[in-house]
Amino acid sequence: MTQGELSAVIDLNEDGEALMPLTAYRPIGTLPFAGRYRLIDFPLSAVTHAGVHSVGLFMPQSARSVQDHIRDGASWNLDLIQGGVFMFPYIATRDYSDPALRQRYYDDYTTFLRRSGSTYTVIIGSSNIASVDLTAVLAYHEAGDAPITLVYKKLPSEDFTPDDWTLTLSEQGTASAILRQKDRHERPSETLPAFMDTYLLATNDLIDLLDVAAGAKTFVTLPELLRDYVLANNANAFEYTGYLARISSMQRFFAASLGMLDDANYQSLMFSAVPVLTKSKNEVPTFFARGAEVSDALLGTGAYVEGEIKHSVISRSVVVHQGAVVENSVIMQGAKISTGSTVRNVILDKGVVIGPNLKLEGKPEAPLVIGKNRSILKMKDLTPQPAG
Amino acid sequence: MRTEMLGMILAGGQGTRLGKLTRTTAKPSVPFGGRYRIIDFTLSNLANSGVDTVGVITQYQPLELNRHIQNGAAWGLNVAGAGVTILQPYASSEGEKFFEGTAHAIYQNIAYIDSYNPDYLLVLSGDHIYKMDYERMLRAHKLKKAALTVAVMPVPKADASRFGIMNTDDTDRIIEFQEKPKEPKSNLASMGIYIFDWPILRRYLTESYATDGKMEDFGNDVIPAYLAHNEPTYAYSFHGYWKDVGTIQSLWEANMEFLSPTNSLNIANRSWRIFSQTEALPPMFLTKTAKVSRSMLTDGSYIAGTVDHSVLSQSVRVGEGSVVKDSMVMPNATIGKNATIDHAIIGENAIVGDNGEVIGKPDEIAVVGYGEAVGRKEKA
Repeated sequence: MTQGELSAVIDLNEDGEALMPLTAYRPIGTLPFAGRYRLIDFPLSAVTHAGVHSVGLFMPQSARSVQDHIRDGASWNLDLIQGGVFMFPYIATRDYSDPALRQRYYDDYTTFLRRSGSTYTVIIGSSNIASVDLTAVLAYHEAGDAPITLVYKKLPSEDFTPDDWTLTLSEQGTASAILRQKDRHERPSETLPAFMDTYLLATNDLIDLLDVAAGAKTFVTLPELLRDYVLANNANAFEYTGYLARISSMQRFFAASLGMLDDANYQSLMFSAVPVLTKSKNEVPTFFARGAEVSDALLGTGAYVEGEIKHSVISRSVVVHQGAVVENSVIMQGAKISTGSTVRNVILDKGVVIGPNLKLEGKPEAPLVIGKNRSILKMKDLTPQPAG
Repeated sequence: MRTEMLGMILAGGQGTRLGKLTRTTAKPSVPFGGRYRIIDFTLSNLANSGVDTVGVITQYQPLELNRHIQNGAAWGLNVAGAGVTILQPYASSEGEKFFEGTAHAIYQNIAYIDSYNPDYLLVLSGDHIYKMDYERMLRAHKLKKAALTVAVMPVPKADASRFGIMNTDDTDRIIEFQEKPKEPKSNLASMGIYIFDWPILRRYLTESYATDGKMEDFGNDVIPAYLAHNEPTYAYSFHGYWKDVGTIQSLWEANMEFLSPTNSLNIANRSWRIFSQTEALPPMFLTKTAKVSRSMLTDGSYIAGTVDHSVLSQSVRVGEGSVVKDSMVMPNATIGKNATIDHAIIGENAIVGDNGEVIGKPDEIAVVGYGEAVGRKEKA
């Protein structure tokens, strides 16, 4: 594909309420995953793989973790002479009754799109973990009749919650609407098309859409505009068949994280045609001491393991001391589990310290989550602290 | 352009004593310690010491070294007006300029050095594992008003005859130099790390090459000439971990020492980090059948077997039922099922088939070369 033919818009303003406290200081897009990645690595890797030169990142309220992760975009080969990563700040109040802020909302998008010089634009969220080959989506779009293409994956109906976005597909395979599962009115079926929050359309069409919206009386966000556009015009529906995890709740995040220990998931996400790129750090190798017992686990570098780890995902620079046991858990960067302590069915955010001889246990379907940088030195420290 | 001290890394040697490991690559680009290559230690020392202008002199099989160093960004050495330059032999109107020895290699790159007009020239090897602050050595050099300072470290008397030995007076001035002496008079071994006053060295080299051209090697020619002409030449004592990894045996030993939690190299010390070119690889995967102890692993590895007291580089696969023990495995090597690797070095991209055996002894390390495939029993 011609370099720069496709540009990308990634909006990091996604509702992270169901992932508190992990989303207290970060958007869903910078949630750590598989011991090594942030969720935004997946859409960024997909756009890089498709030769995208201009990526517009629409920043969330807490943008620090995004800035720190992306830097100049070099890790995704986006530190380019032409194009690159363009970050658009969060519009402070999100009070779009103010006409100036409304104008800026649309202007940020249209300015980016006009300057990108692209023919097509892909709009992609960061809460779906997948490895979509966007060149195939573009080819499908060019061959299709509709002015916009949506990406979906068929999933068993029981895997949906009422708020999940789905597609209404016609017999011919085109999509006529993007609906939440609870708004569907049809006979139950075995599978449903899960909408992957990925749209592709001509850049000029998108600019027109935004320009018209900017002149309207009521404020409509970009996702709403696009859903209305699909209702009015129908959409080509591209079926994706690779790995997909929808990170919309703590339970799904926990299940997807530990699901990476399933060899089939690991292979299909890590070794698909789309290499997963991320910011690398100069971390030392992970050290396994005498007596360490580690099996059924994913680990980042720089970890130090004396104790026991089973069925868990361990990020870089985690320390597991002698006699400590980590089971069915997700441990993020720099967390420390002191000697003699057991953590089971837990998620420890970055920098959490668990003191010696404690036993922390959640439920497999409802993990115990300890927020960033908290120290649990005795059991009563577990009582939730006010954020701060 | 002007720079106070310019670093020159001599990375052109063939490394014949590393046998088949250096058949297709230069010694400084041989992997070490799981996620490093040998030259990372020298490059990181330079970066951490604040020496940001560095020439890397290459000659033998430089492809992998070029690819590894790139623009020096991995070490923070991509500095405008400074940074890393790879220096390769070249042809000119005076003929070809292949390097005949360490000092000759510096002489051939005078134009590069002059372009920075440095006060001091720091000459380094690219094949030693150590952490050292060259800025402190420079301070000692200035304090002594030396023309040449040679970094030395005490070695056991029994080993002294394998090194260049410096005899010093009580002011650390070098009064005698013996190259691999049968009967060493001291135990201060040269580490092959030199700080020269560049104008003086430049004069020695240009005068020599204008006449007899005998200044080929620092140890054999330049240091003796400095001593003969009474140039102030001082020893700078280094205390800490230092290992020349020029042989299969020493490369293996250094990797095993690297595994010790009490190794004085202290790789995990964040105030003197060792940087390397890093690749975005998946996290390491240890399956339900994996057993790993006293070992180091890094990104991209897939372990279904047993790993004990070993250093594995990135993207190594160890199949179910296999045992890797007291060994070093280089990047992208694949070990099949039910194989045994014991006291061995497995080269990059090598394949050990199912049921394969690569078994060495503590004093006779078995080696599988780069890209080599072995299936049946291989004894050292």
